[in-house]
Amino acid sequence: MAEQLIPAEIISDRTSLGETGHQPAGCPHCGRVFLIKDDRIGTNCPLCRKAALESQSARARPGQPELILPFKVGQSALLPIYQSFVSAVWIRPDDFNPQSLLRRSVPLFWPLWLVDTDIRGKWQMEAGFNYQVESTKEVFAGGQWDSRKQIEDRIRWEPRLGKLETRVDNVALPALEEHANRRQLTGQYPLDKAQPFDSKYLGDALIEIPDLPPDEAWPLARPQVDRTAAMVCVKAAAADHSRNFTLTAEYDNQHWTQFLLPLYATFYTDDDGQPQIVLVNGFNGEIHGPQMASRKRGLQIAGIIAAVAGVFLLLALIALLLTPILAFAGVIAAMCALLGLGTGIAAIITVVQPAQWNNSQSPPRIVTRK
Amino acid sequence: MVEKHTNSNPEIPPDIYRQVESQVSGVVVYAPKPMEAEKETARSYACPNCGANTAYDVTAGGIACEYCGYTAPVRAVQVGRNADEFEFTLETMSQSERGWGEKRQILHCGSCGADLSIPLGALTTTCPYCASNKVNVTVCLDETLRPRFLIPFKITPEQTRSLAAAWLGKGWSHPDELKTNSVLRRFSGIYLPFWTFDTQVDARWRAQVGYEKTVRHYNAREKRWETRTRIEWRWEEGTVHLEVDDFLVTGVFPHHISHRILQRLYPYQMSGLVTYEPDYLAGWQAQAYEIPLTDAWETGKTAIREQARQACQQAIPTSHIRSFSMTANFKGESWRYILLPVYLAAYKYENETYQVMVNGQTGAVAGQKPVAWWKIWLAIAALLLPGTLLGLIGLPLLLLGGAGVIPIGLGLLLFIIGLVISFILFSKARESEAK
Repeated sequence: MAEQLIPAEIISDRTSLGETGHQPAGCPHCGRVFLIKDDRIGTNCPLCRKAALESQSARARPGQPELILPFKVGQSALLPIYQSFVSAVWIRPDDFNPQSLLRRSVPLFWPLWLVDTDIRGKWQMEAGFNYQVESTKEVFAGGQWDSRKQIEDRIRWEPRLGKLETRVDNVALPALEEHANRRQLTGQYPLDKAQPFDSKYLGDALIEIPDLPPDEAWPLARPQVDRTAAMVCVKAAAADHSRNFTLTAEYDNQHWTQFLLPLYATFYTDDDGQPQIVLVNGFNGEIHGPQMASRKRGLQIAGIIAAVAGVFLLLALIALLLTPILAFAGVIAAMCALLGLGTGIAAIITVVQPAQWNNSQSPPRIVTRK
Repeated sequence: MVEKHTNSNPEIPPDIYRQVESQVSGVVVYAPKPMEAEKETARSYACPNCGANTAYDVTAGGIACEYCGYTAPVRAVQVGRNADEFEFTLETMSQSERGWGEKRQILHCGSCGADLSIPLGALTTTCPYCASNKVNVTVCLDETLRPRFLIPFKITPEQTRSLAAAWLGKGWSHPDELKTNSVLRRFSGIYLPFWTFDTQVDARWRAQVGYEKTVRHYNAREKRWETRTRIEWRWEEGTVHLEVDDFLVTGVFPHHISHRILQRLYPYQMSGLVTYEPDYLAGWQAQAYEIPLTDAWETGKTAIREQARQACQQAIPTSHIRSFSMTANFKGESWRYILLPVYLAAYKYENETYQVMVNGQTGAVAGQKPVAWWKIWLAIAALLLPGTLLGLIGLPLLLLGGAGVIPIGLGLLLFIIGLVISFILFSKARESEAK
């Protein structure tokens, strides 16, 4: 591991990950860059599915990533996850089925930075200390008072300030511009389960290359480092809470570690033929993505139901005409009219429901299935 | 890479901060220095001009020398009802229960060098060797359990004497000697300890409430319509919110000072509260609390919950109540420890000791007054006599014929009225002497 910030450099051949045979390739549509094996060249970008991956040079740190979280959810475990995900949608597009999702699943690793840094500076905050007060509840019944003591928790705020000269380790920082969104779409990863990088964990997975190298990630990351420093100061002051924390600090001797996180990316196409990306956390199996219903199928089913409703209404009309001849025809007419009305309402629901469901997915609803 | 991230942090540490223990190596922590309480050492009061003893003078409103006329104002802040209040933290409650922790304390006289042994709880003393006034706050276990506020004396000793004379002179049932009794020369001003409590009470009650209903019915035997009143009972419930502000509980044991008399000096105007300054105590007596916070709060709670019960019952629109139950949730409870000014006098009359007190702020007077019992018995006899006489006159008339009924009836009525008035008179006389 480097003791200093190593600048990114241009890599353009397969030597960048030692003997793993991975080479840089990018998506001309979304601009994401991956390290992939030869046989993946020309396949669709797993994260946008809008264009094929093309061989290209990439800006990255030389050498291998330092840490990796291996896949814990195997390909064989994906089918029940997809089945559960798909079953939530009542009228869905033909392409939105567990088998398609499984067939299109692509394993990949996405990057995260872990930074260690020395911090030296001054801080101040309002430190909150828990304390308890005694209160009373008096109960009067049967001519007698019963006194019951109650303990209430409160927070006492006091100013604290001081000096800080310490090192914070393993502060997780974004390596992708879309880190926050990705984190939301993949759920949490247990960072303490990291393993030293070994190409045996890669298999045929793609590796997404950071688009935020350390020098660009640092300004975005400093608030996170400051939060970590704040937690250290809160602990030092033996406080239970803090607010209005400010820090004047120098950061030195930084040490960056690239950490790879496992992910499955798959997709289905919706009514409009647009790919809908579904992501599965490769460690805990959490699945996230839009669950779109099919309005077209809804219309088809509604048409059939409406036809049935029309038949019932026609029968009701015929029975009504026969009323002067047959005494019970009136009853039949009423029953058919009711059935026609009921199926008519069902047809309307079938048309409306997919549209309403899809509205609830826009912006795409994040659904979590474990 | 060295990154500098600057904010406008002050120089560390500022003067008012001190270093405290840090739980993490490499992190230095500073906290505000605790408020330096007035060191609990004796403070002697001597005139800077002539060296004579000085004391707090009510008229001057500050420290004064009666020999050379030197005066100095007291540097206290009038805080009134905004005076700081303290919560019932578990720490304070446990501290309070432990009490003062020592029986007597030694006070070193800075004027003559004598070591004086003073009793626990005494806040002031006068050196027996050099007669200098000293003010000392007894060493407390907890900083919060020392008096922080007081109401200074507003009534001068001279005013006290005239107020007390007027009070003692009132009423026909007391010995005439009271007006000239030596009691008037023995008043001494003392700051007594009090606890004040603030709280809000959310009370919820439930009871069967009876409503009177007039019903008309036909009496078949009497063959007429009659009305009668019956009570309809129904379950009702309600809530009452009570705000209790500056509920006073004395901090002195009842065998030292009569709580009954003390309560008759209320109310004190809490708007007159000032921050504690030893100057106010110079030349006056002052007493620290004997009843700890926990016990005083129990007393306060007992009274406040009764107030809440009465408020709940007053919220019920009728007087017919049964199966009454309620819960009173106390919240936002807080307390203060304050000193209030009282003039005390104890005097003897026919070998009995009597207490008289004057509110040092408002001038209200309360106390025990001896009763000239011969006057009371005479009055009772005078009250019962008319009824008795009429009865005696009526008896022979009754034996002679029916004419005696009227004087006997009238006599009985007058006797009963006389008996009731006599009872009230007797009770008041007893109360006047009661401690």
